[in-house]
Amino acid sequence: MLEVTNLTKYFDTDSGRVHSCDGVSLTVDNGETLGLVGESGCGKTTAGRTMIRLYEPDDGKIIFNGHDITHMKQSELLPFRKKMQMIFQDPYASLNPRMTAGDIIREPMIIHRLPKDEHDDRVNHLLKLVGLNSEQSGRYPHEFSGGQRQRIGIARALAAEPEIIICDEPISALDVSIQAQIVNMLEDLQKSLGLAYIFIAHDLSMVRHISTRVAVMYLGTIVEIAESSELYTNPLHPYTVSLLSSIPVPDPEISAARKIIPLQGEIPSAINPPSGCRFRTRCKLAKPECSFLKLELIEKGNNHLCSCPFI
Amino acid sequence: MIKVINMNNDEILRVENLHTSFFTSAGEVKALNGVSFSLKRGEVLGIAGESGSGKSTAMLSIMGLTGEAGRVSADKLEFMGKTLDAENIKSMRGKDIAMIFQDPMTSLNPVLSVGYQLKEALKRHHWEGSIRDRVIDIMAKVGIVPAEERMKQYPHQFSGGQRQRLMIAMSVICSPVLLIADEPTTALDVTVQAQILKLLREIREYSGMSMILITHDLGVIAGEADRVIIMYGGEIMEEGTVQEIFKNPKHPYTLGLMKSLPKPDSKRERLIPIEGQPPDLLNPPEGCPFVKRCQNAMKICLHKKPEVSVLSDTHKYSCWLEVKNNA
Repeated sequence: MLEVTNLTKYFDTDSGRVHSCDGVSLTVDNGETLGLVGESGCGKTTAGRTMIRLYEPDDGKIIFNGHDITHMKQSELLPFRKKMQMIFQDPYASLNPRMTAGDIIREPMIIHRLPKDEHDDRVNHLLKLVGLNSEQSGRYPHEFSGGQRQRIGIARALAAEPEIIICDEPISALDVSIQAQIVNMLEDLQKSLGLAYIFIAHDLSMVRHISTRVAVMYLGTIVEIAESSELYTNPLHPYTVSLLSSIPVPDPEISAARKIIPLQGEIPSAINPPSGCRFRTRCKLAKPECSFLKLELIEKGNNHLCSCPFI
Repeated sequence: MIKVINMNNDEILRVENLHTSFFTSAGEVKALNGVSFSLKRGEVLGIAGESGSGKSTAMLSIMGLTGEAGRVSADKLEFMGKTLDAENIKSMRGKDIAMIFQDPMTSLNPVLSVGYQLKEALKRHHWEGSIRDRVIDIMAKVGIVPAEERMKQYPHQFSGGQRQRLMIAMSVICSPVLLIADEPTTALDVTVQAQILKLLREIREYSGMSMILITHDLGVIAGEADRVIIMYGGEIMEEGTVQEIFKNPKHPYTLGLMKSLPKPDSKRERLIPIEGQPPDLLNPPEGCPFVKRCQNAMKICLHKKPEVSVLSDTHKYSCWLEVKNNA
């Protein structure tokens, strides 16, 4: 459904050009969830936003349902925008405090010119779908808890009848007991509406739970993609190995028995990233040739792609 | 009932029946409702709970940092045999009891060099010996080298993980007996989190310092804590050793928390959430704070606070279900 090739996005700042997303290639199939993980600053949010043209790509190609939308004009893009929606991390900052819940959910219907006489019914239907009730449509965001606000954000994303939703850290700001409510709801909605998700998060256990496949990013590039259980049980790239070994385990015995493989040094600046393999400055397997390698994702069997040629 | 009096000299902190309220324009927020616990020398006590559970308020109350809007009362609030009143805490804060906070970006002063900020605590508490040597020594211990060069730099010249290392250096520079770490790794990436937790472990090993670790991450608690307190709605729901809490959780809230986490080995099994929303502390329930979200709630839970059930010397929990089963 969504096919992204060599997607590149730079940001020019006073201190230089930030290579936020540097040649990202991936695909998302109908109805699947692609997890996108990596540490802060690795470009996962930039990649997600550029894929749906919230940022203008500097290079690469975005094919959505067979149409090349990379350089489409805003007016041509509108019908595609309808199919691609987004849920944000902060349920406090992403809802307009002066609009009622009902108006927030109605806004995409107005923008995408859904028949007016259906708006009210649809708002009520969406509120029910996300576990709120229609009496709450007249209330303002501050009258809701964090979990309830995230439900409103999800209802707003669903209002335009999307096919794919970019979920950018949708549960990070929520309490543990509420996170499971939202994750279950996203899974139910996916089943009943046939949605595809790109699930961006740093909670690696939750990404494993929700994703069909998972892509790991480091300094603007994808280092590894595989089916969720394959990636977590058999990580190949040295960065993924370190990352997964650092996940805290809620079991004192497993926690004491496991071995954390620490990362050496600090993450280099995205303004002046290392040549060749981005990870070579922190990699235990680094060889001299890593500095001029042209890296591509290599198939290692089991639909497991990894950018390191030495594994 | 025989009251066991703890004569153990190893005990450094004792809190009994701590109540803290904040007076806001919307009314009195009862953030803590009778919290009691103690801590031994060298021990790591993990406190878990969600936002509004009172875990941070409990620590701010101990440190005397609740501000003008806060009112703190307790039957006992003792540290190293001294009552923690406004006068005593002033001389102990930063020296005997230190605290690190969640956000390393806002906890450092951006216009002062890190060396200056590290020296401040030593000067404040009249450090005997060379202040400069101590700063260089502690910076090396938290892995920020070359210390002579880097002490002249400002916070923005350090990464997030390095800033949290500096915060830790600053808090342990006077060799405290107790370090209170309030979500010390929540703002950090998992690989950096692993480094910071390791650093805290090393400092504890050579200094024998005790630690109270506040976090919502049960994984971090399982890896670091000796004993665990589970809080909800300003009260302690369950308390036990790390083994007791993770292997034999009893309180419906603790059980609910454990069940709501994704299982590491299962194939996309559906999560079991705790339904409902956290309690409103402006109008807290009369009885058990968890009553509205509890699947086992009974009539008595609505209007009467549960009695504490004791399972072992270390394992206790507050739930009417256990009281009823034993009756």
